[in-house]
Amino acid sequence: MKKSTVLRYLFLAVFNSFIVYAVPLTITFESWFLLSLILIIGLLVNIVYFSDRFLPMKWILPGMIFLISFVVFPAVYNTFVSFTNWSTGHILTKSQAVNILESRTFTPEDQQGIEFDLYVFQDESFEFYYLADIDEQNILFGKAVTNENILDSNFAQHEPSFKQNGEIFPPDGFNLLTGKDQIANSTTLQELSLVIDKNTRAQLFKISVFGASTGLLSSTSQLYTFDESTDSITNNSTNTTCLAEIDNFVCNGKEIDPGWRVFVGFDNYQKLFSNQRIRGPLSLVTKWTFQFAFVTVLLAFSVGLFLSLVLNKENLKFQRIYRAIFILPYAIPAFVSVLVWKGLLNPDYGVINTWLSPIYEILEIEPIQWLKTKESARSAVLLVNTWLGFPYMFLITTGALQSIPKNLIEAAKVDGASSLQTFWRITFPLLMVSISPLLIGSFAFNFNNFTLIFLLSGGGPPVIGSEVAVGWTDILISFSYKLAISGGRGNLFGLASTVSIIIFALVLLISAVSFRYTKRLERIYGNI
Amino acid sequence: MKNNKSRFIVILLMLSMVAVACGGDTAEEVAETPEVTEAPKETLAAPATTAPPPEVIVVWAEEKVATALDPLVGAYEAAAGVDVEVVVYDFGAIRTDVQTAGPAGEGPDVFLGAHDWVGELAANGVLQPINLASVASDLFEVGINAFSYDGMSYGFPYATEAIAMYYNADLTDGVPTTWDDVKAACDAAGTELCVGAPGGGGGADAYHNHPFVASAGGYVFKVQGGFDPNDVGLDNEGALASAEYLDTLVKDGVVASTDYGASMSAFQEGRSLFWMTGPWARNDASAVNYNVGLIPSFSDSPATPFVGVRGAMVSSFSDKKLLAESFILDFFATVEVQEAMYNSDPRLPATKSLFAIVEAADPIAAAFAASASNGIPMPNIPEMGSVWGPFGDALLIIRDQAYGTNEETGVTVNSATDAMKLAAEQIRTAIAGG
Repeated sequence: MKKSTVLRYLFLAVFNSFIVYAVPLTITFESWFLLSLILIIGLLVNIVYFSDRFLPMKWILPGMIFLISFVVFPAVYNTFVSFTNWSTGHILTKSQAVNILESRTFTPEDQQGIEFDLYVFQDESFEFYYLADIDEQNILFGKAVTNENILDSNFAQHEPSFKQNGEIFPPDGFNLLTGKDQIANSTTLQELSLVIDKNTRAQLFKISVFGASTGLLSSTSQLYTFDESTDSITNNSTNTTCLAEIDNFVCNGKEIDPGWRVFVGFDNYQKLFSNQRIRGPLSLVTKWTFQFAFVTVLLAFSVGLFLSLVLNKENLKFQRIYRAIFILPYAIPAFVSVLVWKGLLNPDYGVINTWLSPIYEILEIEPIQWLKTKESARSAVLLVNTWLGFPYMFLITTGALQSIPKNLIEAAKVDGASSLQTFWRITFPLLMVSISPLLIGSFAFNFNNFTLIFLLSGGGPPVIGSEVAVGWTDILISFSYKLAISGGRGNLFGLASTVSIIIFALVLLISAVSFRYTKRLERIYGNI
Repeated sequence: MKNNKSRFIVILLMLSMVAVACGGDTAEEVAETPEVTEAPKETLAAPATTAPPPEVIVVWAEEKVATALDPLVGAYEAAAGVDVEVVVYDFGAIRTDVQTAGPAGEGPDVFLGAHDWVGELAANGVLQPINLASVASDLFEVGINAFSYDGMSYGFPYATEAIAMYYNADLTDGVPTTWDDVKAACDAAGTELCVGAPGGGGGADAYHNHPFVASAGGYVFKVQGGFDPNDVGLDNEGALASAEYLDTLVKDGVVASTDYGASMSAFQEGRSLFWMTGPWARNDASAVNYNVGLIPSFSDSPATPFVGVRGAMVSSFSDKKLLAESFILDFFATVEVQEAMYNSDPRLPATKSLFAIVEAADPIAAAFAASASNGIPMPNIPEMGSVWGPFGDALLIIRDQAYGTNEETGVTVNSATDAMKLAAEQIRTAIAGG
């Protein structure tokens, strides 16, 4: 057997062990989605690596799996969110919301703030008993019961003999629990209450390991009771019934928090296009997003191309060093360099205005208020992004230039073409064949260049007079971020997802059209 | 044929490995099962002798707080027989992640955060109400109010913070009592800038600028037994008057056009006489010989900074809420823990007992506390999300004098009044429109 085959099976064996290990884990956590994902991936991997027929797939399968988990799944999930009402007050499922509402208790007004020492006992069969030391007349003792048994429980009895001279004397057969013991049983104790009368119960609310634990009074009925048949909750404190309306229970016109997530169909899309409040800034932002992405690519490409042409001269001294220097901005993480640029651009103390100050003086103009006005902020964003982007363009054009056959250029020279003519007629078109897909990619990237905008200008300066907070340098993705965190009640995840779906559609459209155009280029110049 | 045979062997080999994996798994399950089902019974049988696995309380806190808290929890762990796991978490991420991790069953039991999260978290159903009855007498009212939402308490306040005015003690003796006198003080000191305050220089910051619009009757939300999202007072008479006054201060060069970083470096380098920010910046300010005074008042009205309150909250998705609450009330709230926390991460105390200790030892902390006592808590209702953007932008326009006309909408903002009116309108539509 070949070594590679052994390795393959060994890999599969290890892989399958992980799958087998993961399956019970996902079942324990009831994470059915993850379980199905693991099973599907496991099945695929086994089919591909076991069968000779599908074996060639092995080269793309890992890539496919990563593509699905990190690209396709988030995209699908995003689409899913855009059809929901996911926002502040609506992040839970309905059953989670009902659970939370049903777990609430309430204390009638006359019993509020009554706080007392509460002692916990265990009898010989390890059932829990509470002694509530409310006052001299109410040293109440009884079995602690869970919510289900509250109505059947006996009422607590006044047992003055259990407390003498401030000390607790448990009756025979009962064991007084220390704070530490109570804590060891706290998950059980938090469900128990001592029923004092039909309406009142005592519950432990603070276990003390340094002193006596404390209890509070509350009503025996929970604050809200859910009725599945009528899909409503009843507020037992005020005796009002609140019907479920779409994503909230509504009591007397007031929505009860928390609500829950529901599908809202195309509501978010409709809101985006029909709501003047959002539509106005959206068109403004869309326009600038296109301008930003286009101009950025154009500038970065021009600078990169120019530099690569200049440095492409043969027998240029220190060529490698120059190239290395120009690639440097590409090597520094954008997170760092953008923040540095922000400091450099500070109108009052930044280096840029300091350097420009002689020019300002000669021209007798006010210093440019970088990032503070629409024009200066937009220019600054473009300037910094060009600086960030040109090394990439420089890199790829250098590569592409070197792959252009020299004899073509020589032939042009022989034919008497000037060097400018050679460039525009021969070099540039050939360059575009290999570069244009990358330019499209760069355009799509800058279309969503959140990092730059967020770190450099934060979208600012603010657009005066728009109905939602939006800035002159906001691009679609940073606008959707603002939209997501500053809606009516905070987070509007559904709406923000909708914007990002629209961004996706736009980028898709542009890319498709551009690639078609590129194909044509290839047909024209590809066979030279 | 040979190939098939070897493949068969390999498959056998693999099956055995799978079996090993399974075996390991089941072995673990056997080990785990008693933990889950039988352990409580054992506890009941002989609470004193057997040692059940200790309960674990997971606490999320930002780095500084976590570092302060982590060495202290040992005392509670020993006394209560529990494990307290203090997880260092990015401050802002706590707010978002308790909302996703909680419902997914992975969140913390206790987390330390800011009071202005309370509305959002409570509306989302991820906060468990806490009964503060046993500690209420030791708490300042501003702290209790800050953590109240819809009639319930949602957190134990352990620290407050509010901005005040740092001054360079080498160049001046104190902060003038009213803004009218600030210019003269700066002229006398001869610094390049006068007051450095975040919220200008392109960096919108409504928080630091709140005193400039809310000291003479302006407000973000009217307080009527909780904050009323339907009553925005950023364009009432008082707000407009003080915004116009801010405009004058900016035009006179009293308040410099600085964002946070610029205001900090200006103060550190002695280029500005004053720095308007909070107690978290004391380390940064110590680059110069600094002292702290009240923010100057606006003619007769004292400056009202936003008061932020930090507190310990319990997740409603915790399965040991009683333990979590006990940890907070029985341990975290004690003056010993509060004092140790303060010593390692100084913030203005929210408990009276700690304040008494701090006041005597640290006059600068007392100055911040005095400033906070004039302030109002930041609104904790989720509608505040609609406020920060427009509010900050309006003040940025004033601070940077970025008046002008928007060609797209034809709206002109030529004065501080216009800016504030616009912001108030933006906030109202945002709240109404969702």
